[in-house]
Amino acid sequence: MPVADRILTDETIESIRAYFPRYPTRQAVTLPALHVVNDRLRCVPREAVVEIAELLGLAPAEVQDTLSFYGFFRQDAPHGRTRVWVCRSICCALRGGEEVIDHLCHTLKVRPGGTTDDGRVTLEVAECLGACDFAPCMLAGQSLHKNLTNESAAEVIDRLE
Amino acid sequence: MATVVVDGIDVELGDRERLNGIQAARRAGIEIPHYCWHPGLSVVASCRMCLVETGTRRADTGEVTMLPKLVPACQTPAKDGTVFVTHSEKVRTARAQVEEALLIDHPIDCPICDKAGECYLQDYHFQHGQNERRADIRPFTSRRRDVGETVTLFVDRCVMCSRCVRFTREISGTSELLVINRGSHAEIDVVEGYPLANKLSGNVVDICPVGALGDKDFLYRQRVWFMKKHASVCTGCSTGCSIEIEENQDQVYRLRPRENAFINQWWMCDEGRYGYRHVHDPNRITTPTHRDANGQMPVDWSEVFTELPSKLRSAGRLAAVLSPHLTVEEAYLLATWIRRIDPAALLVLGHVPIVGADEHFPSGFSIHAEKCPNRRGVDEVLNHFGGEAVAWDELPARLEAGDIGGAWVTGGYKKNWVDAPTAEHFARLEILVVQDLFPSPLSELATYRLPAAAFAERSGSYVNHADRLQSVSRAIRPPSGVRIEGDVFWHLLGRRGLCNSRKVLDEVAEKIAFFAPASEAVPPTGLQLKQPQPALV
Amino acid sequence: MTQFEPVLLARVEQPNSHTLSTYEAAGGFAALRKVLGELDPAGVVDLVKRSNLRGRGGAGFPTGLKWTFLPKDHPGPIYMCVNADESEPGTFNNRILMEEDPHQVLEGTIIACYATRATTAYIYLRYEYPLAFERLEAAIAECYAAGYLGRNILGHDFSLDVYVHRGAAAYICGEETGLIESLEGKRAWPRIKPPFPAVEGLFRKPTVVNNVETLCCVTHIAARGAEWFTSIGVPPDPSNPRDPGSFGPKLYCLSGHVNRPGCYEAPLGITCRQLIDEFGGGVWKGRKAKAAIPGGISMGLLAESELDTPLDFAGPVRAGCLGLGTAAVVVLDETTSIVDFLHNSARFFQHESCGQCTPCREGTAWALSMLERIRAGRGRLRDLELLLEIADSIGIIPGTTICGLADGAAWPMKNAIRKFRGEFEEYIRRTNPAGAETAEPVAAMAMESVHG
Repeated sequence: MPVADRILTDETIESIRAYFPRYPTRQAVTLPALHVVNDRLRCVPREAVVEIAELLGLAPAEVQDTLSFYGFFRQDAPHGRTRVWVCRSICCALRGGEEVIDHLCHTLKVRPGGTTDDGRVTLEVAECLGACDFAPCMLAGQSLHKNLTNESAAEVIDRLE
Repeated sequence: MATVVVDGIDVELGDRERLNGIQAARRAGIEIPHYCWHPGLSVVASCRMCLVETGTRRADTGEVTMLPKLVPACQTPAKDGTVFVTHSEKVRTARAQVEEALLIDHPIDCPICDKAGECYLQDYHFQHGQNERRADIRPFTSRRRDVGETVTLFVDRCVMCSRCVRFTREISGTSELLVINRGSHAEIDVVEGYPLANKLSGNVVDICPVGALGDKDFLYRQRVWFMKKHASVCTGCSTGCSIEIEENQDQVYRLRPRENAFINQWWMCDEGRYGYRHVHDPNRITTPTHRDANGQMPVDWSEVFTELPSKLRSAGRLAAVLSPHLTVEEAYLLATWIRRIDPAALLVLGHVPIVGADEHFPSGFSIHAEKCPNRRGVDEVLNHFGGEAVAWDELPARLEAGDIGGAWVTGGYKKNWVDAPTAEHFARLEILVVQDLFPSPLSELATYRLPAAAFAERSGSYVNHADRLQSVSRAIRPPSGVRIEGDVFWHLLGRRGLCNSRKVLDEVAEKIAFFAPASEAVPPTGLQLKQPQPALV
Repeated sequence: MTQFEPVLLARVEQPNSHTLSTYEAAGGFAALRKVLGELDPAGVVDLVKRSNLRGRGGAGFPTGLKWTFLPKDHPGPIYMCVNADESEPGTFNNRILMEEDPHQVLEGTIIACYATRATTAYIYLRYEYPLAFERLEAAIAECYAAGYLGRNILGHDFSLDVYVHRGAAAYICGEETGLIESLEGKRAWPRIKPPFPAVEGLFRKPTVVNNVETLCCVTHIAARGAEWFTSIGVPPDPSNPRDPGSFGPKLYCLSGHVNRPGCYEAPLGITCRQLIDEFGGGVWKGRKAKAAIPGGISMGLLAESELDTPLDFAGPVRAGCLGLGTAAVVVLDETTSIVDFLHNSARFFQHESCGQCTPCREGTAWALSMLERIRAGRGRLRDLELLLEIADSIGIIPGTTICGLADGAAWPMKNAIRKFRGEFEEYIRRTNPAGAETAEPVAAMAMESVHG
């Protein structure tokens, strides 16, 4: 495919190829490949699915099948610059997690899963983040924020770029 | 010899048989309900409808020990001493719960769903389901989503048995279908730009246990309980898939594959599946005609039977072209009759359409390039009769020698098979009889133009590429005015009544060594005339 | 009890506990050296068998026994999967181990691979642990550099590669064969068994799947011996010949309505009440406990009167729970609504059900829709019977599903409704006085879907 028509850059393709030696099959590189693309594009559009499939010697259906199972990868539009995962499982719920979610939805004017108008933040609900010792908590990008209150959570979000 | 116990009934299994609980129970006449299991696909045991109780019976003491938990019959091997219980209260409760679970979110579509009457969900609800609805009521009708040009999907009717997905991965090898999302949001889908479009696509509709996948060709055309099923053979190519023709009042609505472990397993290709529309094409020749100054003018069959024999006799040297669409019996009768009139008559194998190359699919299913059902059979009949050997391609040139005065050409092809320049060579003949489905440059030159039978209308036998002979009986009556080839030749030979293909096959088996095994009754899956030779490496 | 000297958490308070230098200074990798020098693979398997170590991932299956299921003399390759998907609500001990003491995890992994002759180990790490990812990658790099990984480890005829494989937020990837399918690049639909992973697992080769904490225990068993391990914990019940006992130290996660949520190490067998009061500073805000989850939400609920249940592999079962699970205790104080608790649980399982088999896929969805309707003030008393029927019928214990997620979905329903029946009935009657008694089906509510 001519470079101009491709959605995966050479760098992205090389990053995916770097995983090949780890596994005896190329299909096993599916999930790493999806993460590689998602990290760069903030989504995995259908064109990327086709290109990943080609790279891994799979049918597009096989990649799409895996992708959509996780609910983690968006396809229609990129997520916001920071994806904020607020936990809604039992430990966080017991210590005010649901109220934090409601408060953030209200202040950001989004529903769970939605992105702010300025493209800054996508607010997601997560199942147990495994930080129950600091409930309620949320993962903003790669940083874990602990022992949240409505105010402290909103503050963290405010500081995101 | 292994003995399996199903509901207290002993079932004997052969030493080398590898059966599961469902198959073993069938031997005992018990049908264990199931959605996701299919003998041609991998076992996933995900629908959980086939749950049964299982245990072992000690050979020496007869003592039976049952496992405390239910197991899917489809994934439980039937070994010597295995015990299956298919109707205990525990099993019946579990079944009713699975059935109820599937109906919770199922749309109220039966009145508009094609599958009604042959739907597992309907049937199992009546046989095994709960008596009342206990879940919240949610009347809705299914969303529809096309997955390809020939197959459509009613998304919400799907019970997630995954048969269709497994089919595209394991049988056609094309992997177009997939599951999206997870949990109760799971749906069947295709990737945009990569629709379900392989040569075996139609099979997914057959294997869908409910009305989720629909065949656009059949959609909304006929209720299944009005149709009659007839065992038959596809005439699309020399694979010769065993099929079922489904018709109502002599109108064919649907072809579906019939299980045949020797030929097509459980499948058929789309070309064969949808290759019946020509049967009801209004352009078919439906009445015998005689050519005069005004063209082809209708005549009575009585005139045909009176005039033709004498006209052919006085034409001198004759040629007969035996189409590879003729059955063995029809070819034999025609050859017999023509040689009776002219013992030196030229017998020619008709045009054999070749399209592309043979195609083999991962599961072992094949589509052949030879697009006719009986070249093998007609060839062997011709070998028996012997005489000057001329191929169809050589015939026009052969006619130039001028010694041949009359010819009888049989067709039966789905579409136009002879062009004007070829037909021209036949113009010089004193008498030309063309017996075919559709008008062609050749038929318009015929002295007598006779109608032909479509595949669904004839009875007889075909021999496929692997020398397997299958016999069919007609599924529908031909259009009024048409007499099928078998009847015409039978009558010309002076035999009484209508053609009896079994009797003709007896004669053929007796006279022609190649067909000798066919002196026995032909089973529904056919019989092997010659053993297939192992491939020479 | 509080005097127990931590073994698994011994180093986590130290500065830079996650670095190799700190680990080695504290005696790390001595166990590996000892094992490679003194034992052959079969010897290590035997050692772990004698220790009666039981898996810490939730099922409690004896680890040494699991290792013996691998075929003898298999040409290979044999794979090790480290189950670091830790997604059971309430559980975070593996996170702490990987973040603060990753070399302990790696040493256990390497010893286990030596024992099982695995040549490649994949650490299936949940996506939501970015710090653990960073620390594990760094630790792995340090190990390669120091010769603890790679070709001919410490000069012995034993080579091993370890890779971290990141998940994508699906609980079912913590199920053994769900993990394997996910690693292979497919949707994480658990496989039917047989064949079991030890015979046909990852890439259809013999595979062992072990939990992070289990592997850490392997390190210490190798260092201190099987007798040391069996000196800690609860011996087998003499009246039950099949009870392997509950030996060794255990990491208990404590969270919810307590003063000091955290991860505490104690011998297997402390009671729930001891964990709450002696380690966790008691129920918060001066309140009393109403109930507690004993081992991750899948295990169900202990009522307050049952809090003296010992948290070993057998205790919670005697109180009607599914088992010890991940030993993650979550406390619900007296103001908590059990209806809300069950709704949260049902929502979790409906979201995480993989969708492959009918009873779980439809059962978890039906349960959630009923609980939503109950919470919306349109519940019927009859719904409680239906919820119990669903709970009693789905799972691998009755045999109606392919994996144990359904059992995990079922137990909270069974325990909550049976142990707190009064509260449910009161709630329904109070919020739907007109419709509580009806047995007729009612109109479904539209459910908001967050996924997809």
